[in-house]
Amino acid sequence: MIYEEPKFLPGGDRYILIEFGNEMNLELNFLGQGLAAAITEHRTRGVIETAACFASTLIHYDPDVIGYEPLVAELKELIKSLGPSDDIELNSRLFYFPTVYLDPWSRECVDDYIANLNPDKIEDAQLVAELNGLDDVNHLVRVHSGTEYWVASLGFWPGLPFMMPLDPRCVLTAPKYNPPRTWTPKGTVGMGGASTCIYPEHLPGGYQIFGRVPMPIWDTEKRFPQFENEICLFQPGDRVKFVPCSVEEFEHIERQVADGSYQYNVVEYQRFSVRNYNQWLTTIDKAPRF
Amino acid sequence: MIEVIKPGLETSVQDYPGRLGYWNQGFPPSGPMDSWSFRLANLLVGNDVGAAGLECQYIGPTLKFNEATVIAVTGADMQAKIDGELVPLWESIAVAAGQVLEMSFAKVGVRGYIAIAGGIATEPWLNSRSTFHKAGVGGMEGHAIKAEQVIPVAAPTTTAVAGRKVIEAARPVFSVDKSWQVEVCRGPNDDWIDEAGHQRFINAEWKLSSKSDRTGFRLEGPEWTFTDKAHNKGPEHGSDPSNIIDQGYPIGAINLGGQTPIILMNDGPSMGGFINPYTVPSIAFWKLGQAKPAEILHFMVISVAEAQAIRQQINELCSEKSIVESR
Repeated sequence: MIYEEPKFLPGGDRYILIEFGNEMNLELNFLGQGLAAAITEHRTRGVIETAACFASTLIHYDPDVIGYEPLVAELKELIKSLGPSDDIELNSRLFYFPTVYLDPWSRECVDDYIANLNPDKIEDAQLVAELNGLDDVNHLVRVHSGTEYWVASLGFWPGLPFMMPLDPRCVLTAPKYNPPRTWTPKGTVGMGGASTCIYPEHLPGGYQIFGRVPMPIWDTEKRFPQFENEICLFQPGDRVKFVPCSVEEFEHIERQVADGSYQYNVVEYQRFSVRNYNQWLTTIDKAPRF
Repeated sequence: MIEVIKPGLETSVQDYPGRLGYWNQGFPPSGPMDSWSFRLANLLVGNDVGAAGLECQYIGPTLKFNEATVIAVTGADMQAKIDGELVPLWESIAVAAGQVLEMSFAKVGVRGYIAIAGGIATEPWLNSRSTFHKAGVGGMEGHAIKAEQVIPVAAPTTTAVAGRKVIEAARPVFSVDKSWQVEVCRGPNDDWIDEAGHQRFINAEWKLSSKSDRTGFRLEGPEWTFTDKAHNKGPEHGSDPSNIIDQGYPIGAINLGGQTPIILMNDGPSMGGFINPYTVPSIAFWKLGQAKPAEILHFMVISVAEAQAIRQQINELCSEKSIVESR
């Protein structure tokens, strides 16, 4: 649900978590992003930084400048002044990402986890397919790659995108690892809860993994024009389309990345309208899978 | 310039308060874990409290100073010696060109701090010199210092003076009985834990796991139990009671993954899908920074207002008022 009034939850002496609701829907993410943008624009006193996520925005503030209660009061006022999310229109880049689904690298990682940490673990793609009532792992690939993903936020690791499927016919859910994995190959595509992510580096993780992309999504060396002003490829409000490809294609792109000739496949002429999107949702039958 | 002869176990360049403003891209602040000791070290040598210095963990480095300068060593007692002679902690020390500072293992505490007049002058990365090891950015080439590296030092803007001391009352008091009273505040997700779970958390002796680093401190202790909210929720939260729709994490959050609580430290993740029933406020970070693996943490709940008041007191202590000239 979307709460009538957002909840203000303290996190120690320096943080406030503002929860707008307790589900994953774009509306909530728009509210979170909207508040973060408004704080930046209004230069709210004492706020050091914000981190909007699916249904909430985390505020990091300086308690030497402003106390908890006065800041909460100010933020409540600010939230009141924001218009309805339907009015939001954003520039939205669309990235096409060649992706090897059911790839050998994530499989090796899962096998290693099963062998060393959790012998009862069901292999990831199979688990996600079963839990979502899909025919088999190939069906999972079809459904997972059948939609554009909305970059709702970045975090956990620099540049790691948390993404939501824009097409409700492709919504999947997956449990997270328990205990977490100690390593995940760079570029691995995974799912936890209802969100999809790409691991920017060789990292620990908790998402179910079943694909891999060959191109970097963060780069401290600025080897590609996309990283000229940013270290991270994505911004909130970008979209990603995973395009299933073969291991051979993956390796081809990997070589292009290595020699610096890789061109990111991205279109930058589109705007995303929340009103149009919501309207479209009313016109489709959400039940069937692809 | 400082020449690294031996790097110590994991000695890194840090500044205070670290790399702020990039949490929404996933960059943590980094910075010294015991910022109380760190700030005092800088004050002793006449620097701003936040100037870049060295954080030493468990075993300190051996460093050769190529120019005469003034340094201060605070925090854990790593038996600092200059040219073989023990030097006092919490006091500014004159070092002649060519002299060698040698530190060994921490006898009391875990993290020692070295401030140098002028401050370390490595290239800032996203406005901070703090080292973020895991991403390989900041500090000396993104990692802990290595033997044979030369650490650049800025020219001091004021004349640093030897023999300045931190008064006893302004120093953090490290535990000597292997147990620590650590302040926590409830929230943000405290309503996911049932009353019995809260009681267990407060009454338990939590053992600091050896699987702890600047990213997170893992705790070993009793089971957690949850409220209905944790059990009856939409599938997008994830299936474990401790799962929640991915959310921003406070630094200091006691992040519960399954049954394992991990305190998110200076290099921690900015968001994820586990609940944070408690948060360790900034005022208790120095204790975490000085606690050894296998030592015991007792948590003591205080309000946000109390934590902010204590923060003011510590800020006061990290000021010139706490310094006396001893000669």
